[in-house]
Amino acid sequence: MKSKDERATAPSSLASSQTRAQEAEPEAVASPAPAVRTARTRRSDRQLPASLLTPPAPPPPPHLDDYQSIIGQAQVDALRFLARDLKGKTLKMVNSTAVGGGVAEMLNRLVPLLSELEVPTHWDVITGGNDFFEVTKAFHNALHGSPYKLTKAAQEIFLMYNEQNRERLQFGEELVVIHDPQPVGLIRSRDKTPASWVWRCHIDLSNPNGQVWEFLRPFVEQYDAAIFSSQSFARQLPILQYLFYPCIDPLSEKNKELPESQVQKVCEEFGIDRSRPIVTQVSRFDRLKDPVGVVQAYKLAKKYVDCQLVLAGGGASDDPEGAAVLQEVKEAAGNDPDIIILDLPPWCALEINAIQRASTIVVQKSLKEGFGLTVTEALWKGKPTIAGAVGGIPNQIIHRLTGVLVHSVEGCAFQIRYLLTHPEFARSIGVSGREHVKENFLITTNVKRWLLLFRILNEAKSRRKAPG
Amino acid sequence: MMPTPEKPPARKPDKPFYFNTSEHLLRIERQRATNLCEFLQALQTCPDDSIFQHTFRTLQEHHFIRHGFSNDFAHWSLSACHEPVLGEQLASVDVREFTAIDGLRGRIVEIVDEFLQSHPRSGSRPGHEPFYFCAADIVVLPTSFVANSLTGFLDGLNQVSVHSIHHHFIEARLRLHRMSNDFSQWLEEEVGLPQAAEAIEHIDIYTTTMEGVRLQIARIVEQVLDLGPRPQ
Repeated sequence: MKSKDERATAPSSLASSQTRAQEAEPEAVASPAPAVRTARTRRSDRQLPASLLTPPAPPPPPHLDDYQSIIGQAQVDALRFLARDLKGKTLKMVNSTAVGGGVAEMLNRLVPLLSELEVPTHWDVITGGNDFFEVTKAFHNALHGSPYKLTKAAQEIFLMYNEQNRERLQFGEELVVIHDPQPVGLIRSRDKTPASWVWRCHIDLSNPNGQVWEFLRPFVEQYDAAIFSSQSFARQLPILQYLFYPCIDPLSEKNKELPESQVQKVCEEFGIDRSRPIVTQVSRFDRLKDPVGVVQAYKLAKKYVDCQLVLAGGGASDDPEGAAVLQEVKEAAGNDPDIIILDLPPWCALEINAIQRASTIVVQKSLKEGFGLTVTEALWKGKPTIAGAVGGIPNQIIHRLTGVLVHSVEGCAFQIRYLLTHPEFARSIGVSGREHVKENFLITTNVKRWLLLFRILNEAKSRRKAPG
Repeated sequence: MMPTPEKPPARKPDKPFYFNTSEHLLRIERQRATNLCEFLQALQTCPDDSIFQHTFRTLQEHHFIRHGFSNDFAHWSLSACHEPVLGEQLASVDVREFTAIDGLRGRIVEIVDEFLQSHPRSGSRPGHEPFYFCAADIVVLPTSFVANSLTGFLDGLNQVSVHSIHHHFIEARLRLHRMSNDFSQWLEEEVGLPQAAEAIEHIDIYTTTMEGVRLQIARIVEQVLDLGPRPQ
């Protein structure tokens, strides 16, 4: 999960937890506000509107009933029925960061909703020094397939901090969920507790660095179950493996309904002409998102259909590689006045929301992808979406039914042309795409999965305890 | 051609209709296939739960698609293996013709086996992406709707989730082990409406959404109610 919502806040129970992420939070805020860069020469020096220079205060988290108008009373009732048998049973989530990053963002919404359903949910964050987080960052990249030599020193640092956290944390709950590899060693406390233990892996393990995976695997195999974000991310393991798709919150700043006037205001601020078709890609300036490929596809399509291209993302102001990619994109764009490149700070969720809603088509032409939550966001807004058939994207886009999958610049260009000239088809895949998200990729579905898992593991434990 | 629903007998059902729903948690199974030969082998050895997941259950996950989606096996054959003939043949398998997973598995295996015998080169050609066999843990839940009359039934039908419709209308076959569904069974046995029951059984689930199925069932019941006095 890569999307970030810096407005998310950890529950108050975390206020005293000292975490690296909390220390890092002001860093994002303190970054110099990037300029809005556009290929339109007349707007090349445009700065961000003053209202975007600092992050706004976080809105309060929604309550379950706030989702009723979106998912229907019957689905809200189903959540309550599911939770009824779990009333009073407790759950603990453990991860490595309280703010920033998709996991913290998701937990910020999930924990209050589970607690509202009378399944008290505690959220603990592990602590560690810079040396620990340097090792876990390297592990993270290695598990994604990057070359890495696992040293004895790295193993010792990893184990030492896991032991420290194991001594610090209490595990009195009925279900303990450990998120990602950083705290995976906490499983060593399992024998001291009656809890079921679950490892929730948010990263793609389909092609891991062998040394790192072989180091972590013995820990993973001690859990009762593992959870992955896509079938293709899983490993062959001797424990139960479940599939929990990542999710979006339809009431978050990035996804909530917006009044037309607000969409219009944002477009005016960024020089987007709503009287003409708008093709948009929202993503960091990262080569794996292929923004240059999107510019090439737009240029091929533009020979046949009139449109503008909006590339909205971030990461260029505080990441040297991001800045280099942004430069490549600007060079590819040349002086085409219809290409609008926006380097936005991470708290511009509402502006991203407005741009997605103003778009005629959304593109996510990734060459490699995690689950691809920007695709989920576009589908939720009913936008006909063209995306690379990589990572978790095929879970979301069923070709020509909920969106369109492409494998090349040329394929992307053709689909832009096709969707812009076949609005009825574009509308129909947009409608189905939104329904797909409603059924499978909303926070409420995620709440349901946790409740189901809790019930299933409890029942399995009861069966094991029953005589005979 | 749907049979015309008849005038309802002035009879109160002996047993109420309890609207339930089922929720599912997806498990990732061990089997996976990278080509059609491996696919055939996995189809023969995977658990019944996997066959159920990729046929019956996937219809619930994709209940909003009007046409063009039948089951995961057909979809993979077409989208990953680029075998439209096999895709069409697998898509033509109607889960409602089966009251047990054994028969359904046998039919799917037969189709893939026959295809590979006539297209032997297709067997070892790698698909664009593997097929990952999954299964689901199922939890059946009550809803707040219980019907003691035909009007109460219509009311519940209109308000339950599409998961409940799927549970009673599609999954029910495997529970009942007969070519029927919970709605038809109740209407026939408890309310004495065999023609309405039959009309409901004839609804085509592959050319409409699950919301569309709900509307068609409701229309049939409304037609019965409009034809005669509503049961007390």
